Amino acid sequence: MIDALVLQAGLLPEGLNVSFKLLPAILVTVMLASFLVIGYMFKVADTESMWVAGRSIGNVENGMAIGANWMSAASYLGMAALIALSGFYGLAFVVGWSAGYFILLIFMAAQMRRFGKYTAPDFVGDRFNSDTARAIAAVTTFLIGFVYAIGQARGMGLVGLYIFGDIGIPGLSGYQSMVVLMMAITVGYLTLSGMLGATKNMAVQYTILIVAFLAGLYAVGWVNGYSTVLPHIEYGQMFAALGREFSEPFVNGGYYLWIATAFSLIVGTCGLPHVLVRFYTVESERTARWSTVWGLGFICLLYFSAPAFAAFGTDLYANQIGPVYGDPGMTSAAADVIVVLAAQLSGLPTWFVGLVAAGGIAAAIATTAGLFITGSSAISHDIYKRLINPDASQRQQVLVGRLSIVALGVITTLAALDPAAPIAALVSYAFSLAGAVLFPMFFLGLWWENTNRQGALAGMTTGLVIWFIPMLNEVLPSYGLLAGAAGSDGVISPLLAQWVPAIGSALVAVPIVFVVTIAVSLVTPEPDLDTKRLVRQCHSPEPMNRQQAAEDVVSGDD
Amino acid sequence: MTDKANHDTSDRADAEPDGGAVASETQAHSETDYLTSEVNLLRPSTPFMRDHLRVIWTGFVAWAVIVFGPVTLTAVAPGAMTSTMPVLGFPIHYFLVAVGAPGGALVLAFWYARKRDELDEKYGIDHGGAAE
Repeated sequence: MIDALVLQAGLLPEGLNVSFKLLPAILVTVMLASFLVIGYMFKVADTESMWVAGRSIGNVENGMAIGANWMSAASYLGMAALIALSGFYGLAFVVGWSAGYFILLIFMAAQMRRFGKYTAPDFVGDRFNSDTARAIAAVTTFLIGFVYAIGQARGMGLVGLYIFGDIGIPGLSGYQSMVVLMMAITVGYLTLSGMLGATKNMAVQYTILIVAFLAGLYAVGWVNGYSTVLPHIEYGQMFAALGREFSEPFVNGGYYLWIATAFSLIVGTCGLPHVLVRFYTVESERTARWSTVWGLGFICLLYFSAPAFAAFGTDLYANQIGPVYGDPGMTSAAADVIVVLAAQLSGLPTWFVGLVAAGGIAAAIATTAGLFITGSSAISHDIYKRLINPDASQRQQVLVGRLSIVALGVITTLAALDPAAPIAALVSYAFSLAGAVLFPMFFLGLWWENTNRQGALAGMTTGLVIWFIPMLNEVLPSYGLLAGAAGSDGVISPLLAQWVPAIGSALVAVPIVFVVTIAVSLVTPEPDLDTKRLVRQCHSPEPMNRQQAAEDVVSGDD
Repeated sequence: MTDKANHDTSDRADAEPDGGAVASETQAHSETDYLTSEVNLLRPSTPFMRDHLRVIWTGFVAWAVIVFGPVTLTAVAPGAMTSTMPVLGFPIHYFLVAVGAPGGALVLAFWYARKRDELDEKYGIDHGGAAE
């Protein structure tokens, strides 16, 4: 696995047609503009006014929202990339990013809906009655947004090369220039959507993205004679030709790494702040459950397609560019654009390849915009307003929010100029973090009423530390920090990297955080009755009002 | 927020023993005060939660087998697991992981949501859409 993660300094996907192309550029613009316009037209759909207008989000629509929310460059580009590059190991991502929704469904979706707090800092702060806990959750949320966005920036930068070519900012490589341009577009998109008050219309966004992806898959399969009506299954016939690296188990990462990765992604799914928000707008717990089922279905639609796309892309690459595996083999930069590359190598028309590329860019920009908003509100609302300056005026808060968006944009750009790993690996660092710090708090907070403030503080701190150690060990050296201590493979301690890999550190972190949280909760005073009643209300099967929070019920019926 | 520093669990009124369970779960439900019943994943305190957790744990075990079973089997018996499937052409392990695991999770999710609806019915709980 380490081989696959070796730094690609220049980051130029070989074989990709790098030049400015007018039609694809227009397609990207049209896609983003349609997100904005439709969001503007459905402006009324923010939660409060939605109930007033008597409109409610149903199972299917919310399921699509879950799908759109979920789909970033990591799903659209990164997953096929890892499957192409790392074969069977790449499937850990397919499994981790889909199967986690079942755990979310059976343990958390409906209870979260009842609790009535939909940002991670709000949930943690209210459940554990602690502003410190809220602050740790806010910092974690900010960090998740940052780390997650690095992967998106890498994806945008690479695919952007196909659409806009090398724009040649002096002193920067073509890829780096594109990262700068794309992040500028993202911040512009954020500003525009803020000015228009455009709430994202996720259902439309999902439809556009999945159509672009599936159209690409079907066209590539058809043109090359790989597949006809069901490429998701038909690629099975190609295995004999694909080379053993594509399917042989545990050649690019052993069994332990596979399990660690899949586990981290699963618990990360259940701990990611932006996933929880999707249960906010539904009218009942029943809708929360069924829309999760629909959401998983919509996600699977893409996830069944990604391995097929990877198989097609790998075969085309081997036939037209060179051997995929071995030395030099396919670079991680080429792998990250394999979805676009496959369309291009199939000789499809430029506008069509552009459609596939535009889908990837739109997914990345929309996701990054969402992450930046979540991250900045964690800073302006949870840290600045709650902790630093309780008397902050609306204007001051908005200012802090804007500044933190700019700060996020700058640090993300800097970190993405010379990224340490492929898209999917970068994003999985964020999942490890969410899984290690937030998932145990959500799970224990909802399922064991005696989890208390002290336990939560100890647990979250432990989770942060365990997440950070492998990041220090494996990832920071490639940014020049502690590089002196690192060996020739860029890792300080290979043994630590083997057992606590940054990509799957939650496998080690989650059990430890659970034990710490439970132990500390047991030896310190139980939470007060109000808090316990809050938790109990989350498990009562009695339906609640549409917009009621468990808190209202508990405080209302004495 | 005040911390009530006590360790007594007097507020954990164990729900009425389901000895005569037959009566009617609906009645049991209406007699349960959920705000005084402890929430503990490992020690369900209401008939509803007992039933619910039975579904949850069944689903969880099935899920764990579907998601981690094939990979583990592949590590244990690589020879048998990597043989080629008839017709489809996939190596078995690849198919079970790439299609079986996400697909299995989807089917289980559907199963759970159905089961949970049946529980609602059993306990006479009506989400009744808009009705208040």
